[in-house]
Amino acid sequence: MNNHQKGAKASYIALAVFILIWISGTSALHRFTKETFAEFQAPALQIVSKGGDLARYWELKSRSNEELIAASRDLARINAALELRIHSMDDIRRENTRLRENARYTANSEFLTVVARVISRDSSSWWQKIIIRKGRTDGIRPGSPVVFSNRVIGRVSAVHLNISEVDLVTSPTFRCTAFLIGDEKRRIVYVRGDAANSLSPNKAKVTAIPIDYNPPTGQPIKVLTTGLGGVFPSGLILGEVDGGIRMSTDDNYKVADLNPAKDLNMIEEVSVLVPQYPTAHEILLAPSEKIKLEEFK
Amino acid sequence: MSSDDTLEKISVPSAPITPWRMYLIFTLFAVGFIYIFCGLFYRQLIQSQDLIDQANLQSETIVWRPPTRGKIVDRNNVTLVENRVRWSVKANLLGLEGEIDREYRALVKAEKAKESTIKINYEILHQEARVNVLNRWLKKIWFVIDASNQKKSPSEKKRVKFLADSPERQVNVTALAKHMRDSRIFKFTLISDLTFPELRNQISDEEADRSVARFIEQFPVDGPITIESDMIRSYPYGSMACHTLGYVKDTNQLPNDFDPNFEISFKKLSKSKYTGKIGAEGLEQTHDYTLKGSSGWERWTKTSAGYKRELLESYPQREGSQVRLSLDVNIQLAAEKALTAIKDNAGNPLPSAAVMLDVNTGEILAIASLPNYNPNRLASKVTIKYFDEIQEQGGWMNRATQGLYAPGSTYKLITAIAGMRSGKIDYDDILDCGRSLWIGNHEFVEHEPYGFGQVDVEKMLAISCNVWNYRVGLMVGPDLLAQEARRFGLDKTLLKTNPNIMGAENTSQYEIPSPARKMVIPDANFKRSVGQGNWTSGDTANTSIGQGFILTTPLHMACFAASVARGETRTTPTIFHDPLRIPYHEDSRPIGLNRNQLNAIREGMVRCVTEGTARSIQIPGFQFAAKTGTSEYFKNGQKAHLAWIIGYAPAKNPKVAFAVLVEGQNDTNTWGGVTAGPVGQAMVKEWLNSKNKQSEE
Repeated sequence: MNNHQKGAKASYIALAVFILIWISGTSALHRFTKETFAEFQAPALQIVSKGGDLARYWELKSRSNEELIAASRDLARINAALELRIHSMDDIRRENTRLRENARYTANSEFLTVVARVISRDSSSWWQKIIIRKGRTDGIRPGSPVVFSNRVIGRVSAVHLNISEVDLVTSPTFRCTAFLIGDEKRRIVYVRGDAANSLSPNKAKVTAIPIDYNPPTGQPIKVLTTGLGGVFPSGLILGEVDGGIRMSTDDNYKVADLNPAKDLNMIEEVSVLVPQYPTAHEILLAPSEKIKLEEFK
Repeated sequence: MSSDDTLEKISVPSAPITPWRMYLIFTLFAVGFIYIFCGLFYRQLIQSQDLIDQANLQSETIVWRPPTRGKIVDRNNVTLVENRVRWSVKANLLGLEGEIDREYRALVKAEKAKESTIKINYEILHQEARVNVLNRWLKKIWFVIDASNQKKSPSEKKRVKFLADSPERQVNVTALAKHMRDSRIFKFTLISDLTFPELRNQISDEEADRSVARFIEQFPVDGPITIESDMIRSYPYGSMACHTLGYVKDTNQLPNDFDPNFEISFKKLSKSKYTGKIGAEGLEQTHDYTLKGSSGWERWTKTSAGYKRELLESYPQREGSQVRLSLDVNIQLAAEKALTAIKDNAGNPLPSAAVMLDVNTGEILAIASLPNYNPNRLASKVTIKYFDEIQEQGGWMNRATQGLYAPGSTYKLITAIAGMRSGKIDYDDILDCGRSLWIGNHEFVEHEPYGFGQVDVEKMLAISCNVWNYRVGLMVGPDLLAQEARRFGLDKTLLKTNPNIMGAENTSQYEIPSPARKMVIPDANFKRSVGQGNWTSGDTANTSIGQGFILTTPLHMACFAASVARGETRTTPTIFHDPLRIPYHEDSRPIGLNRNQLNAIREGMVRCVTEGTARSIQIPGFQFAAKTGTSEYFKNGQKAHLAWIIGYAPAKNPKVAFAVLVEGQNDTNTWGGVTAGPVGQAMVKEWLNSKNKQSEE
């Protein structure tokens, strides 16, 4: 047996040993390996993202004075409009505070908002997952809803030290309950991601629409979160029904396709609504040895 | 031994191989190969199709898809019975196999460690392993859906831990064993309905929706526990008209009205147990054929353990047809509300019934009976506990169509009509009615201590004079009295299905199940047949005021009122609405009174409301006609009262007729005008409202 053969044999043995260890290894080992890989990958993703920001900065810096003056002028206009809105917001805030005081309503907000930049789209999941530049150190918790303005983007599926993974609304692992605009009885419907492949536009599916639901005429059918599930606040926009409502194959109820409220491929910044207390979802997602349901209460 | 010897030995050839041995070996091999080749040829080419079929038979199965039942609507197309989405939590046992195996091995190990002499029953341990694993998952599921686990706002903290006593907190071991035996192809149901209809008196609609939403949003998506939806019967008005609408129950009886080619194609294929719904009471039962729809099926491949693997083809189920009733939901609600307000001393609603129908068509606008039940609590599963609860309260009985009661003074209309038709009295004849009438040795008293003096037909009906009826009853005689009651059909079974309507051959004999068939219109023969001896004048007197042996139902009395309103003898009631219906009343004849006589009857009923026994239920600005009644019956060996009122509205050109009955208890004061009257009034008021709304539209 020459050295070349010996080397080949050794590599096969090493591979076999690795596979054996992987198969016989505990779930803790698997999780540790996955976590380590994610943490190892994170700085690279962050560098790429920050590099992109830097490139954008220099690209802007290379613009001519005329261009910058024009942009400044536009910005000044926008700023003026925003100033006005801030003033009106101040009035509303003061009114809100006054009403809360009158009503002696002292409840705090149920969510803390953490703004995060999107640093990558996970190609392995055919764009149904994004990675954001905030993680455990920033207080992000698994299961937290992710929104842009008042539109639902998805929910956090995994949290690492400095980055987090977000399942988009179109991901098959995303599901939530919703109300349809115009349903006076406020019956809940079921929304779940329905991305089949990356070649067609990604959508979600709305099912369990009651047969006697009459959509409002002349306006898009908006799909709003119920707020009943303990994850999403109520009234957030999940999207709009696309292509009309049709009967399910078994004639039991109606179904429809849902266009996400925001173009998920273009999104660059999101807000994570971190609940003040761990949800049941978060507890169940924790490693099994940490689940102590009785102690949770 | 030298080396030469050795070489010599080696070079000596062995015994020569004879050709015949070679031939034998070759032949054996050749035969063997030919056998194998022929076998392969036979199996692969000749038997192949049979073998493929056999393999398919073993690896495929048919799963039934029960249909969605049709809706039931009222005359104005308001939905009375529909279908709602039922959210169930199910376990995919195939996906749990690994976990169950681990649990099983642990149990076996623990059992062996005991060193017991008792032989280990591995089958029981396997079942125990399944139960343990499923119970662990159930704990997680309840942790998610129980909103009291949420540490959120103060209001959330205050929320009581609901459904703590739900039986579905633990795996039903018997159901699991049955599932493994019969329905392994399906997922196992851990929680049959996340909205918990059987506990809806404890939780609000929002709370019920919350548990569905919490499961969907908080329970991990990937895994062996899934949420599935199907359709289930829903009764939006709860217990309203439950005796008419009925409820549904589970059935394993496969319907035979699906894909006609099914039997030819898949006769030999194994099939899952059919689990569908069938009407159990009311219209759900009598019109099951129309409502049930037709079943569909799915052809699946299955694993060697019998679990579903891949869907090959399917045939869709079809929803049942809609049934339109003649009921008016507003009048029905008004009737039930008014009946519920009549309570005993303990504050419970008294057993009672109310009917209102269209005078011309006989279409029933409202038909109510108390106590009742909530069919929503039976829609998912008919539990023994709730079934017995209804039984104990007497809620199964439809008192409007099945309850047999003495009609009391409402029967005085029959006595008056019999008197005038027989020529014994006329509309303006006046009889002297004192405080009582002696018949033989028995004194038959008036309900007014000093009597009513001079009384004619009109006054008798207004004040409900007993003595007048004793006298007329004795004049007419028992046979004519009975004949008159029979002429109005008080002994005829009602609600028979019209054989001329389409599909009648597939429906029940009656529109609503089991209407009363043993009404009693007593005469001498009847009394003798029940071993009560000979008929006496006292019996005639009793019968003339609607007491004694006579028995009929509230629906009969409503029909009687409608007949009087039209000036005829029969009204054929129906629970179905047909806007194009041509009024037809089977065996109906003119009432047989001249105009003055009929006017006296009608005027007497109007005076009953304006100045007589029903004066407390007048409706300002609106005139209607009624006759009250209070009869005696024995309950628990003691006397109690039945309160009655029958009538029609408006007084001129009548459109609706009604009858109300209330079963008094031993310790309640129950009187026709005071107790039953307000229910009749409520129905008439609601009918007026509906009529006014329609005119405005």
